[in-house]
Amino acid sequence: MSILLDKKTRVLVQGITGKIGQAQTKWMLAYGTNIVAGVTPGRGGAAVEGVPVFDGVADAVKATGAEASVFFVPARAVKDTVFETLEAGIRLVVVVTEHIPVHDTMEMRAEAKKVGATLLGPTTPGILTVGEAKMGIIPGNLFPKVGGRAGVISRSGTLAYEVGGILAKAGTAPSTVVGMGADPVVLTDLADILKFFAADPATDFVTIVGEVGGIQEELAAEYIARDFKKPVIAYIAGRNTPEGKRMGHAGAIVQRGMGSVASKVAALEKAGAHIAKTPAEIGTLAQRLAFKRQD
Amino acid sequence: MRLHEHEAASLFRQAGVPVTPFAVARTPDEAVAALVKVELPVVIKAQVLVGSRGKHGGIVLANSETEVREKAAALLGKTVRGFAVDSVMVAKAVSIARELYVGVTVDAVAGAITVILGTAGGIDVETVAKERPEALFRKTVVPPAELRGHEARALAREAGFQGDLMVKIADVLVALYRVFRKSDALIAEVNPLVVTPDETLWAVDAVLEVDDSALFRHPEMPKDTLARIEHPIERAAKGIGVSYVDLDGDIAIISSGAGLGMATMDVVGQRLRPANFLETGGGITEELMYKTTALVLRKPALRGLLINLYGGINPIHEGAKGIVRVLKEQNVKFPVVAKALGNRQEETWATLREAGVIIVTDITTEAAVEALCAALGAGPTS
Repeated sequence: MSILLDKKTRVLVQGITGKIGQAQTKWMLAYGTNIVAGVTPGRGGAAVEGVPVFDGVADAVKATGAEASVFFVPARAVKDTVFETLEAGIRLVVVVTEHIPVHDTMEMRAEAKKVGATLLGPTTPGILTVGEAKMGIIPGNLFPKVGGRAGVISRSGTLAYEVGGILAKAGTAPSTVVGMGADPVVLTDLADILKFFAADPATDFVTIVGEVGGIQEELAAEYIARDFKKPVIAYIAGRNTPEGKRMGHAGAIVQRGMGSVASKVAALEKAGAHIAKTPAEIGTLAQRLAFKRQD
Repeated sequence: MRLHEHEAASLFRQAGVPVTPFAVARTPDEAVAALVKVELPVVIKAQVLVGSRGKHGGIVLANSETEVREKAAALLGKTVRGFAVDSVMVAKAVSIARELYVGVTVDAVAGAITVILGTAGGIDVETVAKERPEALFRKTVVPPAELRGHEARALAREAGFQGDLMVKIADVLVALYRVFRKSDALIAEVNPLVVTPDETLWAVDAVLEVDDSALFRHPEMPKDTLARIEHPIERAAKGIGVSYVDLDGDIAIISSGAGLGMATMDVVGQRLRPANFLETGGGITEELMYKTTALVLRKPALRGLLINLYGGINPIHEGAKGIVRVLKEQNVKFPVVAKALGNRQEETWATLREAGVIIVTDITTEAAVEALCAALGAGPTS
C-alpha cells in the first residue's frame, strides 16, 4: 500500500525530451512506473523510450488519460507549465526543478490550494512508492524490492535516500517516500502530506526528515499533537549550522532565532514524536517501534 | 542579492515611495557637487551592505559645504563593520516628528506575502517584534493579488492613523508592495519612514533584497552579484553554481544535497571538526567535481576530506573522475573517504579506489565518519 502513487498511476513526464528528462524517464520506467506520455512544447509526435511526446498537457491527458505529472522543466517555465497542468485536470504534480523564483512558487501554491491539487516541491527529489513506481529522481536501487510500513517525508532529497536505506536496513522498509522540497515556500505543507499517511491503513508510522530553516516542522507538530494518531520519528538536520548562513538550500537558514534545530525538536518532542539525533538513530527508533507493535 | 541603499532608493522612488532627494558620491568632490541637487543640511551615509550603520559610525550629519567635504572624506576609505566604504549617499536631512516602519516580505508560514506597518520605527524590527509586538500591524496578501488601496487604508486605520496621514501611509504601502512584486524581492523595507512636523512622509532608508533565482528576468538589476559575496571561496563557489560555507575545523565536507550535507556535518561534528561545507546541488559533471574538490582544498591545514554523494539526478561516475584528477594533481596525502551510492555506484567506486580514496559502501554517514576516524587514527575528541 502507499500514498499518492502506485504502479497503476498514469504518469506524464514534462520536459521529457531534455537531457535530464530522458535519462530520468529511463530510470522511472525501469523501476516500474506507468509512464503514459511526455510533453515538450514543439516536440509533439516524437517518442522518448517508447513514450509518446505531446506539445501540450491537455492533448496528452486526452490521448492517454495521464493523471499525475513530474516536471523536468527549466525554472523560468515552471509557473506557466504548472498552470497549464492544473487546467488540464491533473491533481498530483512533482516539481523537481530547483532555483524557481519564490514569487512564482507563491502563485503556484495559491492555485494548487484553490483547485485542491497536491504539488510537491520545488526542489524535490519526488516521490517513490517502494517496489511500485516513482516520480522524480530518487534512485530505486537504494530500496528493497518490496515496500514496508514506514512512511517517509523529507525536506531534503539526498538525505531522504539515506533515511530510506537506513529504514530498510533496520527491517522496517518504507511504504512511500515523499520529498516535499527544500525552498523557503513549499507548494504543499508537511502537515498536509502527513494527512495522506494518516489515512493510509498500510502505514504504521512516519519518519519526518527535517532541516534548519522555515517553520514547516513546527506547524506539522501542531497538527501531530492535535490529530495525528500514528507514531512519528523525526530527525532535523543542521545541529552544527552557524546562524545566518544559508546551508545550500534557499530555505535552510537559521534567521532571527527562527528555524533552529532546537525549536523544531522542542515542538516535535512536545507533540510526542521520537527524536533521532543522527540519521542512523532513525533505524534504532524504527526497530523499537516495530518491536512494540509485535508485543 | 541585497541592493545598496541608493540602488533600492532609486527603485522605490520610481514606484512612488517618497524618498528624500539624494545623490551618490565616490569622492569628497562629488559629495560637495551633490549639494547642487540636495539642499543642506544633509546626511552622509556609507553604502555598505550591512545593517546598523548608524550605530557603527556609517551615518553622519553635515550642516555646511566644509562639513560635507570633511565628513565624506573621513567616511570614504574607512570600513564600517568590516565593509570598505567606496561610495556614500548624500541625502537631504529632514526634521522628525515621528518614525514609522513599513515592510513587505515573503512569509514562509502563510506561503504568501506579508505587509507590515509598525508604529515604532527607526529601531530594528525584530527587536520591536520581540519587545512590543502590539506596535506591528500585518496584512497577508496572496499573489498574484495586489495590495489594494482600501486594504492598505484599513491597515493604516487599524494602526491608529486618521485623515490625510492615514491616506499617505496607505499610498506608501501600496507603492512598496508594487516595487516588491516588480523586483521579485524577498524583502522591501523602509525603516524609518519619517513623519515630519507638518505630516509629510519621507523614506530615509531603503532596503531591498532580490531573489537570486529571479535575476534572469531582471536586466535592470546590478550585474555584480558575485562581487557582493565577501568570502573568496564562497564567491568562487557561487560562480560555479554550488554553495560553500566556511567553518572553523579541519575536515572538508562535500555533499550532493544540502540536507545530506547538514546531516554529514552533524555526524562529523560528534567526533571531528568540519572545516567547510560544500553542496553540489543536482548539476554534477566531471568538470564541476574537479572544481568543487579544488575549492574545498583551498582551505589551509586540512586533515581529511569526506565526500558524501548520491547518484539520483547526478552522474556520480562522471563526478568521480573530476575528484580523482584533483587528488592526483595536488598529490593529496591526508585521508579521503567517499560514500557514493545510487545509479552507477560500482563504476564510481572503481574510479575513486584507483586514486587511493577509501570507499564506504554502507548506507549510513556514520560508517563514513567511522572510516575517516580510523584512517586518522583518531579516537573520540569530545
